[in-house]
Amino acid sequence: MYRTMIDRRVLGLLGPGLLFIASSPLLGTPPPEHQDRHFAVKNRPLVVLQNIVDGRIEVKSWKNSEVVVSSTSNPEKVAIDIEQVGDRIDINASALVASSQPHEVEANFQVTVPENTELQLRTQTGLIYVEQVNGDMKLQSVAGDVHLKEVSGYIIVKTTGGSLICTMCGGKLEFTSVSGGASVLQPTSLTYVTLMTTTGNLLYDGDFARTGLYTMNSGRGVVEVRFSGNNSFDLNAQTNLGTVDNQAAGFLKPDTHASRHSASKFSHSLFATVGQGLAKVELSSYSGTIRILKR
Amino acid sequence: MQCKEIEAVLESEGLEGLSPEAHSHLAECPACQGFVADLNTIVGMAGTLPAEEEPPQRVWVALRAQMEAEGIIQQPVMVGVPAGESWLAGLSSIFRLRVLAPTLAALALAFLGYFEFHKGLGFAKVETPAAQVATVAGKTSAPTGQVSATPGSTAPTPGKTVVATNKTGTTARPAPDEPLKPSPSELAASTPMSDLASLEGDVSNRRVADNVAVDRAIRQNLATLNEFIKECQLRLKQNPQDELARQYLNEAYQQKAELLSAMIESGRSEH
Repeated sequence: MYRTMIDRRVLGLLGPGLLFIASSPLLGTPPPEHQDRHFAVKNRPLVVLQNIVDGRIEVKSWKNSEVVVSSTSNPEKVAIDIEQVGDRIDINASALVASSQPHEVEANFQVTVPENTELQLRTQTGLIYVEQVNGDMKLQSVAGDVHLKEVSGYIIVKTTGGSLICTMCGGKLEFTSVSGGASVLQPTSLTYVTLMTTTGNLLYDGDFARTGLYTMNSGRGVVEVRFSGNNSFDLNAQTNLGTVDNQAAGFLKPDTHASRHSASKFSHSLFATVGQGLAKVELSSYSGTIRILKR
Repeated sequence: MQCKEIEAVLESEGLEGLSPEAHSHLAECPACQGFVADLNTIVGMAGTLPAEEEPPQRVWVALRAQMEAEGIIQQPVMVGVPAGESWLAGLSSIFRLRVLAPTLAALALAFLGYFEFHKGLGFAKVETPAAQVATVAGKTSAPTGQVSATPGSTAPTPGKTVVATNKTGTTARPAPDEPLKPSPSELAASTPMSDLASLEGDVSNRRVADNVAVDRAIRQNLATLNEFIKECQLRLKQNPQDELARQYLNEAYQQKAELLSAMIESGRSEH
């Protein structure tokens, strides 16, 4: 009992001291600096952002013909260069010091752009978030996720391990990843979709546009499609070592264009048609499950 | 003289190769003058491109070794290259631009993947008598004997380098009694540590990014790709006609190429 009380007193004294020692290096570190830069643009702006350090990139649109770049970073550890050339805004964030600690060398960006802006964003670990931008975009990340909401254009997303969530997107979408997954939710007018991942899961939940082309391949992950009853598409699903889980058998007719297909003896296949078969949906997984559902 | 003839001469020999008749045509033809102006611009621009250091020798060595292991090139014999200078040196002298090093590595890997993907289609066209006999006799699966004819013909010929694959200096086609060679997939599957892996090892042994999370993510994903490639190769070894497995193998090769390319580039920019 007595010993326990002593232990508690010692801990009570040592605790704040240890905390102070642990945090003392941070006392010498200046707080992150916030910067706003404004760039007037005319026609269709292009924003190129290369974030070679940690950090989040957030892009939203407004009605003004101006690009605003707000950044937060430690100026002793991160160099941020921003340059405007006509309607192109180049933003580069690079590390001034080597660091092995996560979030130690970090730059966060919030970019406000006109609606029709084209984007080329590249980051390492932070989230890329884009909302209500209607322009072509190429988004690259190593380990960071990519979230898109109400965007349209030719959208190219490449990640190594990061995942994509694309909500209410339109236009054309290409996604490539090694281990990241992709979820396409409530697409508004996506007419061309290519999703490819080695181990991630793929989900398409929404309507297939007439005459659209949809290709979803996952090496080991699950490929899941949830379609609406009024959709019209030809379906081709194939898996080598996995299974085709057809939970919408009542809505699928035998493929009216079946003559074009030849089932491989090495894979489990499903060829079917919904409606008139206007769009083309091709799903494949090497060893994962392909699941087909009606919403 | 026709404009097309002049363009052909200009492309192959330059202005010096033009005849007096062509010169007189050139003096009067705005289209040809524009073409010459374009050529001069291209040549001028090419001269201003920055020369950088060569990619590490190990990149070329590993690529060559991997291509040999895959059966794409076989026992190269140097023609038109000074003694003591390898075809790799000749090739690398062409690609001195900094950006081309990872790109070339990526292209080479993508080429391997492409080759893997298409070799199945090409088998029927280059089927050798030996393979036909073997197939009829049921001794072995068809692709094992058929691949050796294709790789030699698809070997890269950078600059003046010519890769000959047999003693006569012509592209090799196995003799009817020549033993069947394993396919690239089989070779790769049977080689636990390929030469390409040594390149990977070089890249993997150093940190490819300052950030621990990034470094870890890249390594994990590379390991994932390697596992998947191995799995697909094994599958193809068992079922050489499995096009879906071949397609996934091709895509995995491409992804690996991009990842290695990014690793090399990242290593350069940070170290």
